[in-house]
Amino acid sequence: MNLGTRKLLDRSFTALGIGSIVIMGMMLLVVLVPIVFNGVTANVFRGTVEHRKLLYNEFRRGDKAELQREIVESDAVRSKAYAMLDQFEVEMSSMDEAKQAEYQDKYRQVKESLKALLGPRPGGDIPELTRYKYGQTRWSKAEEKLHELLYEKQWDYSNPDAEAKEYFVSRSAGFQGTSLVKLFPYVEENLDRMLLPEWTIYWGFITDSSIDSHIFGGIWPEIQGTIFLAIGAMLFAFPLGVIAAVYFTEYAREGFFNSLLRSANSTLAGVPSIVFGLFGLAFFINTLKVSESKSVLAGSLTLAIMILPTIIRSAEEAILAVPKTYREASLGLGSTKWNTIVTVILPAALPGILTGGVISLGRAAGETAPIIFTAAVSVGSAIGLADVFNSPTPALSWNIYNLASEHEAASEIRHVQYGMVLALVTIVLLLNMSAIILRARISKKLKG
Amino acid sequence: MELTAEAIEMKPDTGSTQKSVPDIYLPPERNKVADGGVPHVSAKNFSIYYGEFEAVKKVNADILSKYVTAIIGPSGCGKSTFLRSINRMNDLIPNCHTTGALMFDGEDVYGRFTDEVLLRKKIGMVFQKPNPFPKSIFDNIAYGPRLHGIRDKKTLEGIVEKSLRKAALWDEVSDRLDKNALGLSGGQQQRLCVARTLAVEPEILLLDEPTSALDPKATAKIEDLIQELRGSYTIMIVTHNMQQASRVSDYTMFFYEGILVEHAPTAQLFTKPKDKMTEDYITGRFS
Amino acid sequence: MNEEGNATAGRSSAFVVSARKRKLQKITKSAGESLLFLVAAIVAIIVLFIFYFVARDAIPFFQIRGFSEFFTSSEWYPADDPPRFGALAIIYGSLMVTAGSALIAVPMGIIAAICLSDVLPFSMRQYVKPVIEMLAAIPSVAFGFFALVILAPLLQSFGGPILMWTWWLIATPFLLLAVIVSSELLVMSISDDVRRQQVQRILASAFGIVAILLLFFVGRGLQKIEILTGTNALNVSIILSFMALPTIVSVSEDALQAVGRDMREGSYALGATRAETIIKIILPAASSGILAAVILGIMRALGETMVVWMASGNSSHIPDPWFNYLESVRTLTATIAGDMGEADQVTGSARFHVLFAMGLLLLVISFISNFISERIVVRQRKILSGQ
Repeated sequence: MNLGTRKLLDRSFTALGIGSIVIMGMMLLVVLVPIVFNGVTANVFRGTVEHRKLLYNEFRRGDKAELQREIVESDAVRSKAYAMLDQFEVEMSSMDEAKQAEYQDKYRQVKESLKALLGPRPGGDIPELTRYKYGQTRWSKAEEKLHELLYEKQWDYSNPDAEAKEYFVSRSAGFQGTSLVKLFPYVEENLDRMLLPEWTIYWGFITDSSIDSHIFGGIWPEIQGTIFLAIGAMLFAFPLGVIAAVYFTEYAREGFFNSLLRSANSTLAGVPSIVFGLFGLAFFINTLKVSESKSVLAGSLTLAIMILPTIIRSAEEAILAVPKTYREASLGLGSTKWNTIVTVILPAALPGILTGGVISLGRAAGETAPIIFTAAVSVGSAIGLADVFNSPTPALSWNIYNLASEHEAASEIRHVQYGMVLALVTIVLLLNMSAIILRARISKKLKG
Repeated sequence: MELTAEAIEMKPDTGSTQKSVPDIYLPPERNKVADGGVPHVSAKNFSIYYGEFEAVKKVNADILSKYVTAIIGPSGCGKSTFLRSINRMNDLIPNCHTTGALMFDGEDVYGRFTDEVLLRKKIGMVFQKPNPFPKSIFDNIAYGPRLHGIRDKKTLEGIVEKSLRKAALWDEVSDRLDKNALGLSGGQQQRLCVARTLAVEPEILLLDEPTSALDPKATAKIEDLIQELRGSYTIMIVTHNMQQASRVSDYTMFFYEGILVEHAPTAQLFTKPKDKMTEDYITGRFS
Repeated sequence: MNEEGNATAGRSSAFVVSARKRKLQKITKSAGESLLFLVAAIVAIIVLFIFYFVARDAIPFFQIRGFSEFFTSSEWYPADDPPRFGALAIIYGSLMVTAGSALIAVPMGIIAAICLSDVLPFSMRQYVKPVIEMLAAIPSVAFGFFALVILAPLLQSFGGPILMWTWWLIATPFLLLAVIVSSELLVMSISDDVRRQQVQRILASAFGIVAILLLFFVGRGLQKIEILTGTNALNVSIILSFMALPTIVSVSEDALQAVGRDMREGSYALGATRAETIIKIILPAASSGILAAVILGIMRALGETMVVWMASGNSSHIPDPWFNYLESVRTLTATIAGDMGEADQVTGSARFHVLFAMGLLLLVISFISNFISERIVVRQRKILSGQ
């Protein structure tokens, strides 16, 4: 090979390396950007008058007089739409049977769509479930519902080889020649006057409890559950981990037993997280019976086992990084070994130990599999501090899974799911970032 | 630096020459080497910086072709930095840059169109610590030639044997060329590194304290090797052992805090140093 | 201590204390040390307990149903009457997504590690490392959510074009390079300079045409592929590779750093380029450490639960053909997580214990690979220190 080719290969190699780093950065962006962007819409969105009604009725928040004025204003616009429905009903009752049957189903769909858009008609029965008590609280959702009102979704099966394609048919075409035709352009044009959208910052998303299994309201019970579980895990794992690290670095003598312990540590670090869940179920709940069934305590213990190896490892590294001279200086002044560890080495290693602790805290907060069988429930309100010993809790990580995969209206509440993911990612990344900053400070300090 | 302690003993009295320093052997013909010869490497106002710090300050020197030049000086004086800059090994250190000119065969080493790969092929280097690759002895020596396009087995075998013979290692390892080079002793490893460098047929051989990690016996072998290579290659050797410098070199450069204090024929520098600082150093007043 | 000795003994010199006191000191000291040791030993006890308790609930399954069905049948109907517990398809699904993620993450991770340790200047590294750490820190459920809500619909609606563009983006530079290098290599034996250049030009253009045709037709073929479901093995493999990458990168980088500067300088000084130094010297020297990194990264993918549970489609069958990554699969971890809810109430039945059997399988695999990777790292350290 001549030099030109060698140089070309060399440069391509460099490009390949930089390319893969860039791709990794892109991966992070590709995952984070939609989460951040969509997650923010859980807090900041164009809220409709329905949103304000909900806030007032459920949480007594907002200006009552102003709200009443808005309700009157929007009802005035809505009543015309309702009047059109009434008019059509009258019209339909005068049609012959066959025609009635033809319109019956279509009309029911229109009514349902309008109800989904604006909420139950004033004066009618008040529904049981909160989700049916209100119209669309978010303008972006309202626009989707408007589309559903205006167009009917149908499937095209014409190509037998490919999957059926969806297409949309205007509903107003189906009511050609009746009085209902006027309804569609009316709603389309006046929707903003019916719903009165305003830019809203809904901080309650973080601090409120959920209403009607997350269709409305906030995610505080999940956030609190995550905090309880993560801190609970730290309470067990941190002291144990630091003490074990002290033993490994200061007391352990090289030998078979010590290497066995070290192997155990790395084995524990490699155990799949779902197996921790199984172990937590079999040991803490079924054998030790720390609680009757799932509980925060059992979940914290399981998470503690999972993060223990990380804490031990980082604490070991931090202790080993303490300069030898500190140790010698302290011992030289006549202090005992234990004294030296407690008063000199641990304080010097503390920032490093904390860094590992903070990262582990983030890991405990983000992990799902270990708490599925031991601590997490899908619905529930925030639990008190006294309940941690015997009651399970909702938690961000588990509820993200639950809402996205198992919730009956999963695709309706994407904004809540995104909001939860953003909350979880923010907690975890903030913890990690503080660890990174902490570490940068330490290395600066060590450099002098 | 225990070797400098010996250097104190060999402190030459003013006026007297080699007689008072019997433990240094200077071959008589070496004293004749003085002027004449072609400059192979020449530095003009050549400075090396690590970031803001000027590690080597405005060096002006001509290194003569086919002679052995030793570079001495206290640690941190920039002697290694200077040596490593000749085949641009300093490029690997971040924030390292140079000013002034360093010419090799009349070409600018740091010129815009200089290819450091070709340059390093012509200017080989042996490091302080023996650094054989974790491969067989044969593959270690053949590594360089293979890089530069030699694939033929017979040719490679010839090169390996020739290089090992030149490095005086052939007799010791000819029967185990396929064994891992890390199994050799430290001295053998270092000679292997010399052989590895010779295999790419360089014009200049840079030796960066090649014996500092070796025992006296292995050191003697490396020094013998330098003697044998003398005349075929331009050799530059960094050493903190002044006896070694006086034993193996024709010329000596003395660096102090990045400044080239004195550059003279070895015999002259060790017996009649022109500079007070040089005298202080070789007489062991500081190290 | 000294002063106390003085005070109690009174008569003695400054540092001699009474025998009783010395004994007491020794006892306190060893008691304290044993206490510390006990705490440190907790880790080992936990590992033993995990094995014991998972095995305790796994063994009843094998007692009831035997081994052969679990490992050889792919009929997974735990709720039927009579139930069938063939886990072959599930084990295969686990292996499939793990292999898929390894295919993406291993080459990328190693190259990124090389780039971090040898190519990027130090100042850049400080910015890249946090990126890797953040990638590692993102909770698995967030990745799972991304796979389910964003990637799956994308794959489902634009699968063909996505595959085509990916192929073009990746293959174009590689093929270009291959054309240049292969034409160069083939003409090396021609000694006449002018003729060599002519032949090389002809060869290069011929290869170039072949490469362009290859690019085009494979791309078109990929574009025609319709992905029936976005929650498939491909989706999961991509996301799992995101999760395995940080482990592979950071552990390999440690291994590469451990090779040391001496070896690099030795190679550069012989006139090697950076790529040659890395491929011929550093990678072989660091190979066992990199292997350990790969094992750890693969284990991360194999043991991952949430992503596969949410985005693999959870259908227990072996894809047809076996390498069809566009079909849904089901994995061990997802089965444990998903079926426990139904099995929980009937504790004691095979349906409950089979999940522990799967857990035990995972545990044994992770234990073995951990053991292997640890041995490998120890061996590398020995080799590099010249023993």
